[in-house]
Amino acid sequence: MAEFKWRKWNNILHRDIGYLVVAMTLIYGISGLAVNHVADWNPNYTIEQEFLTIPPVTGKDKDAIVHEVLDRLRLDTAPSNSFRPDPETLQLFFDKKTYTIDLPTGNVMVEHTRPRRVLYEMNQLHVNAPKRLWTFIADIFAVALIAMAVTGMFMLKGPTGLAGRGKWLIGTGVLVPVLYWVYHVNFP
Amino acid sequence: MNRKHFVTLGVSGVLLCAVVLAGPKNYGKKLTLKDKTKVSDILANPEQFAGKKVLVEGTVVDVCQERGCWIKVSSDKEFESIRIKVEDGVIVFPMEAKGKSALAEGIVSVKTYSKEDLIKQGEMHAKEEGTTFDPATVTGPKTVVQIKGEGAIIK
Repeated sequence: MAEFKWRKWNNILHRDIGYLVVAMTLIYGISGLAVNHVADWNPNYTIEQEFLTIPPVTGKDKDAIVHEVLDRLRLDTAPSNSFRPDPETLQLFFDKKTYTIDLPTGNVMVEHTRPRRVLYEMNQLHVNAPKRLWTFIADIFAVALIAMAVTGMFMLKGPTGLAGRGKWLIGTGVLVPVLYWVYHVNFP
Repeated sequence: MNRKHFVTLGVSGVLLCAVVLAGPKNYGKKLTLKDKTKVSDILANPEQFAGKKVLVEGTVVDVCQERGCWIKVSSDKEFESIRIKVEDGVIVFPMEAKGKSALAEGIVSVKTYSKEDLIKQGEMHAKEEGTTFDPATVTGPKTVVQIKGEGAIIK
């Protein structure tokens, strides 16, 4: 009976799972960097503001005010909705565009919101916004990463393998989160 | 199957996707309540609704820009709105929801914040929204009424 060459199969698994998860790893890696710095920038949308001025708006009721503002802004299309957060402000909602009008002064802020191409989709997948089937796919990816980590440890033998420098590098990798957690708990 | 069939199938698929994407979108858990509560009633008598599950309807007038972790829904009365706060990552509201109609369900939360807490929150929200915040605008403790969102339909 031929000897079972476990290392050969381990390496085949590592190689082929690796190929399979290239796209997912890039998606999670790139969006991870993007989402990790959410306090410093908006990784999902570009939001551009434009400022205009129209004469002060004098209408009394909401419909009259909306009509007057649309007329003064020379907008032909009706907004999908409008809202008055306070007596002096009117908001008009269009597709990916919001007009905020300060009625007494006529100062207008136009906010254009556009999803960042590709990055938006990556981020949505990373935070599992779609739910349903994606939860299952993301679970498989997580299992695949575990398999990659485990098979990765046993790919080589000798001085570059687990028994050699591998154990020191793995130990270093273990120490990073452990030491950080100890630091975090003691110096919150 | 010839090329014509492929083209027809492809176009049908794209149209179907467009129809599906353009329709109402569900977020989070399925809505369970049938009767809607007026936002104005909640804001007028928050203690009466505290801890109770409600279904509210209104226009989405604001969305959390960074995480999509809250929306503000307009009241049936002018100058009023209520925040629907969801747990980070559990529901992610897109910015495209702004201006659309929302049906949202969740538990009413009534909490009184100290002046210091309000300043901290104001600074955090200003950072999230890329706006400025003047701590001098906070004059004292304030009761904040919001809904801990569990599910929503946006159309």
